[in-house]
Amino acid sequence: MVILISILVLGLIGFIFAALLGLAAGYFKIEEDPRLATILAILPGSNCGACGSAGCHDFAEKLIKGEVLVSGCLAGGEEVAHKLAQVMGTEGLVIHKRLATIHCGANEKVRTKRSNYSGIGTCAAANLIDDGGLNCKYGCLGYGDCFCACPFDAIRMVDGLPVIDPEKCTACGKCVVACPRAIISLRPYANPVWVACNSRDPGPVVRKICPVGCIACKICEKLVPEVFKVTNNLAVMDYTKTGINCDPAIEKCPTKCILKL
Amino acid sequence: MELFGIFFSALLINNILLIRFIALCSFFGVSNKIDTSIGMSLAVIFVMTISSAVSWALFHFILAPLHLEFLRTATFILTIAALVQLEELYLKKMIPALYRAMGIYLPLITTNCAILAVAFLAIDYRFNFQQAMVYSIGVSLGYSLAIVLFAFIRERMALAPIPKWFEGYPIAFITAALMSLAFLGFTGMFGL
Repeated sequence: MVILISILVLGLIGFIFAALLGLAAGYFKIEEDPRLATILAILPGSNCGACGSAGCHDFAEKLIKGEVLVSGCLAGGEEVAHKLAQVMGTEGLVIHKRLATIHCGANEKVRTKRSNYSGIGTCAAANLIDDGGLNCKYGCLGYGDCFCACPFDAIRMVDGLPVIDPEKCTACGKCVVACPRAIISLRPYANPVWVACNSRDPGPVVRKICPVGCIACKICEKLVPEVFKVTNNLAVMDYTKTGINCDPAIEKCPTKCILKL
Repeated sequence: MELFGIFFSALLINNILLIRFIALCSFFGVSNKIDTSIGMSLAVIFVMTISSAVSWALFHFILAPLHLEFLRTATFILTIAALVQLEELYLKKMIPALYRAMGIYLPLITTNCAILAVAFLAIDYRFNFQQAMVYSIGVSLGYSLAIVLFAFIRERMALAPIPKWFEGYPIAFITAALMSLAFLGFTGMFGL
């Protein structure tokens, strides 16, 4: 008898809850845009936040509402943008892939130090105290904040200097934000040349403390004036100009601080 | 005064995590970051209060009159699982911001032993409804207090120079033990 009652009671409770859940599922039903699932499947799903939205789901919702563009997903780049354009019916857009660029070429072996830093092992912390012990107050500190920030495993630390994997890099910009010295920037993927120095120190100072730093000799500016310009003791490239032959400048640069992939 | 005693007993003196050692899995699992621990705490406060109210009513109005007290484990598990589902559906529709803030923690709580423990304890202590509510709010706030404090400590420890063989869970357990000792200091307060 007890067994019968317990089965009945438990079964009844279960049934009531099941009925309640069934009713609630109908009552609280949410009309989702059918494109949402398709868009979510296309997006990288790493929730990196580079687009400015709170994760991929948020981006997808905003895309459907028309608040962001199909090219808004920086991590997905060209491929994702084209697929999204197909879903949203806005094909024919041209999107340029970009690449993170390290504007420093001085690895552990070359960097000169004026003191030994032994504090917290992050660039952000080291940068606060005596420039992390480095003579150069513009160059890479080498504790790998960018390496830790990269959600796509595109940065390797080689001899204390980050190296970007051009195929894995999605130009999400996480490393750009992570670097306390603003050494990293994004350049168009089509441009294989970059200036691997960030130092605004005058030439003689750079010459003393770094063998691979820009000494602002202006040779590059003379050889390829379309692209290079020396401002604030530093050679600055116009990365948007692609297809210009920079080889003479790369060859003649006395400290070899202009690099090519 | 009695409700006050129940509340502080649940919050501090018999803290569910540090004194009773219930729900330790989530205590170590989601205390890596302060954000996640706060999310978990919110979800626990929300679910614990509602589920203990419903399970108290079920026990006193259905199981006790039919002399089916032995069925309470099965019934409460059923109740909690169904309730969490209901709450999830409701939140998703009505308060999507809160739903997204709680995220994965809401369904995770279905299997959290603290929720079931509170439903049991409220009955074992022979609380009336008002007392049971105060008790479950106290317990859930105690859970939040312990896990958020622990998350603060663990975030600090991530930067501390810890010996290699203590890194990760060993030092977390040692810290939890020390926190537990500290909470033992509350014993005897309010004459409890």
